[in-house]
Amino acid sequence: MIIVEDVHYSYDGIYTALRGASLQIEKGERVAIMGTNGAGKTTLIKHMNGLLRPQVGRVIVDGVDAKFLSIAELSRTVGLVWQNPDHQLFLDSVKKEIEFGLKNLGFTPEAAEEQCVKTLQNLGLEGFAERSPFALSGGERKRVALATVLATEPQVLALDEPTIGQDAHQKELLARMLMDLNERGRTVIVVTHDVEFVIENFPRTIAMAEGRIVADGSTAAVLSNDDVLERCSLTPPQLTVAARALHRLFPQVSERLSLLSELEDVVSEILGGMT
Amino acid sequence: MALVEFADFSFKYLGADFLALRKVSASVNEGEYVVITGPSGCGKTTLCRAINGLVPHFHRGYIAGNVYVDGQNTREATVAQLASKVGLVFQNPANQLVTLNVEKEIAFGPENLGVEPQEVRKRVEDIIDLLNLEHLREKHPHEMSGGEQQRLAMAATLALKPKVLVADEPTSNLDPKSAELILGIIAELNKRNGMTVLLVEHRLDLVAKDASRVLLMDRGQIVADGPPRDILPMDISMEIGVGIPKATQVYRRLQAKGIELGRVPLTGEELAILVGEVHRL
Amino acid sequence: MSFLEVFQYTRQASLVHDLDPRSKMILAFTLAFISLLFLNIIPLIIILMTMIPLLVAAKSLQRWARSMKGMSYLLLFIVIFNTLLSTVSNPFSHSIALAIRLLALMTSFSIFFLTVHPDQLAQSLIQMRVRFEFAFAMSMAMRYVPTLGQEAYAIMDAQKARGVELDKGNILKRIRNIVPIIVPLIIVSIRRALSVAESMESRGFGASGNRTYMELLRFRRRDWAVMFVSLIVLIGSIYIRFFVPLPSWMLFQLPF
Repeated sequence: MIIVEDVHYSYDGIYTALRGASLQIEKGERVAIMGTNGAGKTTLIKHMNGLLRPQVGRVIVDGVDAKFLSIAELSRTVGLVWQNPDHQLFLDSVKKEIEFGLKNLGFTPEAAEEQCVKTLQNLGLEGFAERSPFALSGGERKRVALATVLATEPQVLALDEPTIGQDAHQKELLARMLMDLNERGRTVIVVTHDVEFVIENFPRTIAMAEGRIVADGSTAAVLSNDDVLERCSLTPPQLTVAARALHRLFPQVSERLSLLSELEDVVSEILGGMT
Repeated sequence: MALVEFADFSFKYLGADFLALRKVSASVNEGEYVVITGPSGCGKTTLCRAINGLVPHFHRGYIAGNVYVDGQNTREATVAQLASKVGLVFQNPANQLVTLNVEKEIAFGPENLGVEPQEVRKRVEDIIDLLNLEHLREKHPHEMSGGEQQRLAMAATLALKPKVLVADEPTSNLDPKSAELILGIIAELNKRNGMTVLLVEHRLDLVAKDASRVLLMDRGQIVADGPPRDILPMDISMEIGVGIPKATQVYRRLQAKGIELGRVPLTGEELAILVGEVHRL
Repeated sequence: MSFLEVFQYTRQASLVHDLDPRSKMILAFTLAFISLLFLNIIPLIIILMTMIPLLVAAKSLQRWARSMKGMSYLLLFIVIFNTLLSTVSNPFSHSIALAIRLLALMTSFSIFFLTVHPDQLAQSLIQMRVRFEFAFAMSMAMRYVPTLGQEAYAIMDAQKARGVELDKGNILKRIRNIVPIIVPLIIVSIRRALSVAESMESRGFGASGNRTYMELLRFRRRDWAVMFVSLIVLIGSIYIRFFVPLPSWMLFQLPF
């Protein structure tokens, strides 16, 4: 679905953000891109919808080289959701906000209205159509920003740091929504440094440092690799820490646990029958 | 006498429909490390601002009850007067840095309060030393990483020599390593310098092990108050949906199945140790 | 825009940098005033030449030269148009003189801006009894310029991804396309301002009229010397301008 081939990019010719990044993401995958700030994560996803164009290498989206497509055209396939919803909200009603993107991307006014209603329903924002986005709470504005992207029904959804400042319940809702979209065939990419969120919900992780992809594989494997964690300034998730500590005492325990239920089962087995 | 005391305190922001805080009562003694947590909108942020007087002096609204800091009623003191007792660190590092260099930033607070120039200089040097900011001296805040900015923000707050450090989600915008560093500094300040700490945080797995007390809030009220190992495994914690450490969640689930670990683990290592102990029996 | 480089502070260890910003302010105003006194080519060139050693002392000659190069198109434009539209006799000569005068004015202020850090400027205003809040607002604005710039780029990215095309269309369309950028920028700035205000308030901003300052600017002997010399030069120049008939070679004008 998305192929990145040896892409190099530097800002203003001074700051090199990407030094030869290559990856392939298939349709329907759930992938997390992790790494320090400045590792190139955001630069990488900006290449997927054409906001940035590779200076060396190429990006292929759904079989077509991105250089032949405009940002608007690419945005129909790859929807980027930003961390700060206030960076895009500027109209006086939620409905207009959602229809704005739809119309710019080529939807007819009738189709736009239909999509808008549908999306508001899907995100539990039915009563919000006529409300001004500026009068909404932070969490509500985030949902509206998400709605503006989901309304265009892009095949790929890429979210930039969606869990910052969210409480446990909100993170759970987000995870469920992303799982739901994924089950319906959408590709979901998340850029984050929230290791706990990733290990529970994303089977594949691409770890980056200094503009390069340092590791690309199963999340449990990547996040238990000390070298990778060190280079990418990440800390291991609690599950991994527990798994390793248990492994030291009980070698039969796998160091690569990724679900809470797995950890529970493992401990139950060890202490099986003991009360 | 408690250092911070909430006495039946209620507050509603001007123009709001609901009370942000409802008859909150709690005392915090010197030297405690209190973690405040709860779902979005539970009043944690309002609570923080009520301690240094931003509520009600900066954020107007309807107020009932009192808050006392070191014996002083916050309704009668100004925010500036409380500034030398309470240091408040906020979530966004960049919005706390208002000057063009490190020295000026740290000096900002004491200068505002009319501290003698030599004393200001001394505090600046001491704090640069304490928080390892020497290599950043000449940098513009824009040239610093999020973690460095937050460290500077903390330094600027500590320059006022407060007795209480209140931090409202100080690590939310930071990457894991920087978050660890900042929380490490806070824990050190508490352990070594006896600083009283009130910290708002969602990710309890990062702070539960250093805290002496957890305040659970929901819809403007304190619903649970006690040591982390008592509070976190409680049903109420699961119900209101806070970020209970995975190790503690496993403890609960095992308990439900009849497997008893003895003590409550807060980290992965503690869990492993406990399993080891129980296994050996 | 590169001609603006001559108004940008750079950190250097130089005699001029070490002077108190207030004496430099007087120096700059004096030099500017003198530049305005004369409108003949030779005197203006002389005045410009006297500023060169100051630039050298400030270790900023190359910067100045680069800026002047950047100015060359503007100067050419001024000279041509002024020559064509002027009503005085010898319009070309007059235009050249105006161009040199412009250079001299810019250079006199550049000596100030090249060697005075924004914080020092704020501090000198404060010590000249400007209210703290105003001087501070000025340095805070400088502090937030890069941050705001970054925010603007982030907003542009977000809106481009929604199909807003910032580089296409006629003038009218382009102006309309500014709205999706400006509105979020203003809103975000207001939210930021409230957040910053909370932080400042929490650190006692505006607490008392007796604010202290860790670093105070103090006039030294060299600053008094600069003030004294500036005064002498100023008085001397005024005297020469109004009371001393200049030798004819100084009044030289180009024949057209």
